[in-house]
Amino acid sequence: MSVAVAKAKSDQSDVYEREELLNGCQAVAHGVRLADVDVIAAYPIRPYTEVMDALSKLIADGQFDAEYIIADSEHSQFEIVKHASSVNARAFGGSSGTGWMYGMEALVVTATDRLPPLFVVGNRALDDPGAFGVEHNDAMAVRDMGWLLCWVTTPQEALEHVLIGYRIAEDKRVRMPMGLAMDGAFLTHSQHMVKVPSPEAAKKFLPQYDLAERRLHPDNPISVAPQINEDWVMELRRQNWEAAKRARGVIKEAYKEFNDVFGERYSAPYYFEEFMTDDAEVVLIGIGTVAAPARTAVRRLREKGQKVGYVNLRWFRPFPTVELRECLSRFKAVGVVDRDFAHGSPDNGGILMHEIRSCLYPAKQRPAIVNFMGGLGGRDLSIADAQKMYDITQQAAKKDSMDGFVTWIGLRE
Amino acid sequence: MIKRVEVNYRGIFQKNLGKKIGSDIVMIASRMGQKAFSNGRYSDSPERNGIPCKYFAFVSPDLPEEELEAECGAKLEIDETNISVVLDDTMCKGVEPWGWHGIRPINEKVIKDGCLLVVSRKKPEELLKFIGKKPYNYRIAILDGDASLAGLWVNKDDLTHERILGGIAAIDPALISIEAVESYLMEKTKQKHRAEAARAAFESLRAEAKPPRVKLVTPKEGIDWPHEKPVLPKWFEMQEGAVVPAVKRGFEVGPRGQSRNAMFKRGTTKTQRPAVRFDLCTKCTLCWAECPDECFDPTKDGFYDIEYQYCVGCGKCAEICPVKECIVMVDELRFEDDSSPYEHWKKDSKDYIQWVEDKKGKDRVSYPFVTGKGITVTQGEVMPEGKIVGIKKTEEAEL
Repeated sequence: MSVAVAKAKSDQSDVYEREELLNGCQAVAHGVRLADVDVIAAYPIRPYTEVMDALSKLIADGQFDAEYIIADSEHSQFEIVKHASSVNARAFGGSSGTGWMYGMEALVVTATDRLPPLFVVGNRALDDPGAFGVEHNDAMAVRDMGWLLCWVTTPQEALEHVLIGYRIAEDKRVRMPMGLAMDGAFLTHSQHMVKVPSPEAAKKFLPQYDLAERRLHPDNPISVAPQINEDWVMELRRQNWEAAKRARGVIKEAYKEFNDVFGERYSAPYYFEEFMTDDAEVVLIGIGTVAAPARTAVRRLREKGQKVGYVNLRWFRPFPTVELRECLSRFKAVGVVDRDFAHGSPDNGGILMHEIRSCLYPAKQRPAIVNFMGGLGGRDLSIADAQKMYDITQQAAKKDSMDGFVTWIGLRE
Repeated sequence: MIKRVEVNYRGIFQKNLGKKIGSDIVMIASRMGQKAFSNGRYSDSPERNGIPCKYFAFVSPDLPEEELEAECGAKLEIDETNISVVLDDTMCKGVEPWGWHGIRPINEKVIKDGCLLVVSRKKPEELLKFIGKKPYNYRIAILDGDASLAGLWVNKDDLTHERILGGIAAIDPALISIEAVESYLMEKTKQKHRAEAARAAFESLRAEAKPPRVKLVTPKEGIDWPHEKPVLPKWFEMQEGAVVPAVKRGFEVGPRGQSRNAMFKRGTTKTQRPAVRFDLCTKCTLCWAECPDECFDPTKDGFYDIEYQYCVGCGKCAEICPVKECIVMVDELRFEDDSSPYEHWKKDSKDYIQWVEDKKGKDRVSYPFVTGKGITVTQGEVMPEGKIVGIKKTEEAEL
């Protein structure tokens, strides 16, 4: 292993074969091509649809060979993906918003069956009324079901995380379904220059999918998901729990291996990335494309001498509890940006805020936490909005009573 | 520094064309060593046939890519453009790029000394009869041509895509240079005629070109914008449960008699409008019955007036009308307002017939089927007052 890695390291010049202008959806399609996926099940819903458009074009153009099945609904689509995965086919699906929710029954059992297909979620508000802007509640709906769940912020990361996602999900210590989420419109429909890896480099990084003893095949007589009742379920849940715990270590391994093949693309602790936090007193933490305006606001506030930073949370499941606790307890105040909602929850805050407060509870030194509900349903989160959030968080650093304080950003009020 | 380009296009018909132009600006600017990206503000969604939509490209010689994205990509609507491209000149009457923004001037985002680049057969002075005033100087550049449907796979490629790139290079060589446009097109397509089309468009917009196709527009030129911007309610002012008031049922007989949703007019969708000769009307009711947008208002004497603010120019009325020259689809840019044609006719029928025949002109343009064979132009006929002649609807040969 170490020899192979050393060889790869000296040979990074040709890991990318070309640069191409791709939006988030098209980038994911190229990731699927490079992962040499065997079975794709498709059903359209904005804004993720273009992933499937791009894949069908790649197949029609002869650039990619895979079984491409058009389902009659998301429920069938996700069932097809699950079943393909169970016979040792690398399988891919995806959806957005209420389509994702419609197939929820299949999504839940994919986790229980401990199968590792990858699904892309182009985040979309849960309509009524026909809203198609970004909101994270769709993907978040599987957060407690035994899924891996990760957000990307650029088309480059989107492509790379298809490979990284399969690498983690298919690891025999994990074998959990992988949810790769990206913000609708702001990422799915934004075209950037993307470095496209060579098939050889992708192959070097991503091993063959091998379900081994759990492969459903006549030569390997097993039965998957028979009737199980009160005497089985609790043990099954405990196994899921164990897999999620092990996944934390596998995630780190996967990023290190990715860096070995592709150069230093990602830095520790991988689950999240810190920006200008070394001497920061106040940080914002958020998920998804809000990273761009937030980090730009940081650069500008730093020019004025303000000690601010940004933490981009990439992995939401498994939650990087220890690392994030260590990171966030360094600061005086943390502003949590939620592009989701959790109505009726403690302090009426967002999902991410509650997770972070819970994560910080055992910390010896706890920062003040404030919460921002922003960008719901695709509303803007601009540089000016980020600066406003830093202002409020800086005030919170000075007062203890701000803990749990929720501010809506961009609301007409 | 950031340069912003906005491509205004007609939904679906020009979607691929708009996206290709945005993409190629990014590719060419990147080859020149600049950072660039492009996006469509959700171009696959509110996009129905003909509705005005936008695609964007953003270029910076000095900003990091993430900051460029943060400045331009994190907002739904961009603040300003250096160049606003218009792929169909009928959008100069105003665009409603997505719901609840109201009808906005085509040059709304163009900055001081910026440029409105329009594909048109008309002169800038003719287009300025529809375009709103700006408080500063800017330019209008005309690329000679018709609204292209080349983005649809069924239609013949007319090189509008390459010509727009050449036009942008003429307006702002720092954004994309003509040399970079040419080398990119040659490398990508290996087809010389594409690079030549870009170069010809570039030459046609240069200061020394004859006839001059770039006009400096001063604050005196243009119209006072007639459309208000809607004010959206605050969260506590809205009804709960995603409920909005519906349109009250019923109508009165006469112009503007039907109840219609004042918040949902789709008039900016049309490139043509039906012009009516009331003196030839047999009161058959077909236009009124068939109009998908309920634009026809029954009058006391049995005619049907048209409310153009709601007309999307689909042409169904003209197609179904059984009388020769009674309803004819006419270029939208020949009309300056949406006033009632019936009231005009009632006031002075002779004047109205003269007026409507002037608008109709001599050519009858039709798009028989989406066959890739382009448009059919036939000679129009001026029918004497009251001379009702039935139309023999002939089947298209290939069917």
